[in-house]
Amino acid sequence: MEYLLQQIFNGVVFGAMYALLALGMTVIYGILRLIHFAHGALITVGGFIFYVFFTMLGLPFVAAMGIVIAFGGLLGIVLNVIAYRKVVGGPEVSMLITSLGFYIFIENLMKLIATPQPYPFKPPAFLDRIYSQWIITFRTVDIFIIITSVAIMLLFNLFIRKTKIGKAMIATAESGETARMVGINVNRIINLAFIIASAIAAITGFMWGSKYGQISYDMGFMAGVKAFVAIVIGGVGSIPGAMLGGLILGMLEMFSVAFLPPGYAGYRDGIVFFILILILIIRPSGILGEKEVK
Amino acid sequence: MLRVENIDVCYGIIPAVRELTLTVGQGQIVTLVGANGAGKTTTLKAIMGVLFPREGAIYYVDEDITRLPADKRVRKGIVLIPEGRHVFSKLSVRDNLTLGAYHRTDREGVRKDRERIYELFPMLKERESQLAGTLSGGEQQMLALGRGLMGHPDLLLLDEPSLGLAPIILEEIYEVIREINKSGITILLVEQNISMAMRIADYAYVMETGKVRTEGKSEEVMKRENIMKAYLGE
Repeated sequence: MEYLLQQIFNGVVFGAMYALLALGMTVIYGILRLIHFAHGALITVGGFIFYVFFTMLGLPFVAAMGIVIAFGGLLGIVLNVIAYRKVVGGPEVSMLITSLGFYIFIENLMKLIATPQPYPFKPPAFLDRIYSQWIITFRTVDIFIIITSVAIMLLFNLFIRKTKIGKAMIATAESGETARMVGINVNRIINLAFIIASAIAAITGFMWGSKYGQISYDMGFMAGVKAFVAIVIGGVGSIPGAMLGGLILGMLEMFSVAFLPPGYAGYRDGIVFFILILILIIRPSGILGEKEVK
Repeated sequence: MLRVENIDVCYGIIPAVRELTLTVGQGQIVTLVGANGAGKTTTLKAIMGVLFPREGAIYYVDEDITRLPADKRVRKGIVLIPEGRHVFSKLSVRDNLTLGAYHRTDREGVRKDRERIYELFPMLKERESQLAGTLSGGEQQMLALGRGLMGHPDLLLLDEPSLGLAPIILEEIYEVIREINKSGITILLVEQNISMAMRIADYAYVMETGKVRTEGKSEEVMKRENIMKAYLGE
């Protein structure tokens, strides 16, 4: 029983991170119809920025986090302006290739700057305390991840439903052309989507590093791919679907490690993709996805 | 008020409109009729700034707006109500109206305009919090009109407001269009329903395969029945 609860808890923590990444990718997909593979690179960058400003330069936690968020948002705009703006509206393949190309570019740049070896990553002391007196064992950073994720999702939901710009974002996702006709500056909305998604991904980079205890130049690859899997599970284009998909993916991954015979734990990524294929066969539009119109 | 001079507009490499010239005077209702694929919608989109002409120029109140993006044109008072209604189906009726006034900062004016639109279409007030996607075709057309009016236009571009509507609702919509025009808004109306459009318009352009074939006062164009037969297949 305790073992089960422990695994559920671990699943929720990982699921929360996948959900955050999936949320960002979904927001961008909704507006540009772009599978933003370069999204994973933002995790790597976020993790390293935190490392530089917190561990190396010794800035206070809040300040380092602020820089991570700001830098993530900025990089989002840069990506959009130099990589995507020219190919938007073109064939989906060219957007896809551009995003993959950009992921590879950033990964290699990180490799060049940070060298290929991984860096040990430690969260600040107040997030590194271990508690095991209540049923399950957890670190304070786990609680931080869950609370921050829930807060980000609630805030995003509030933003999209209650503010005029949020509504303009929904409108742009439905039809960019009609949005322009009512006077919405669509480019600005796209930039905003990139800022939000990228800043969230950068924060997730910090969480990811704290959870795994290390950061490396290629950490974003699997993260990005798994976020994409979460989106497909939940239903492409659906924001609640992305969150749900993330959570389910986190659970599945933890459970496959916890309940399969010891030798199989190394196959956790393989199992994730096996499940992706199953879902694509049984329910191609995902759990909360709308039926294909075409 | 609006002057379109010799524009060529292409979709990719396919020319959709060629050497089109038209003028809309202040306070007029001008209609652009023609068969499917004649280039009417393309023309409206070029005037709105969603598509850009390859050749030619567009003047609005004596200003060259040929290269101006759509959101800036909305601020100048040009509003397009697209064909097939295109309301934002995942937003409520009220939010659709709010977005119609996206660029406006005069809260009081926006509130007044919303009241006026609710008077014009009481149905919209009843369904204020309903998602636009759940409205019927006629109701969506009314919402699209309402959303357009929220932008406080001086020039309203209407793309096939009659499309797919029952005759009774059609009459109602046209009555509203007439009222909108009386309140001082200039209208450029694109229609396939020629008899309806001719009845309401002061001046008409007949398009065929991307070009203007004939133009004139609506009654005169109507009288040239042979032309109607030849170019419109009626």
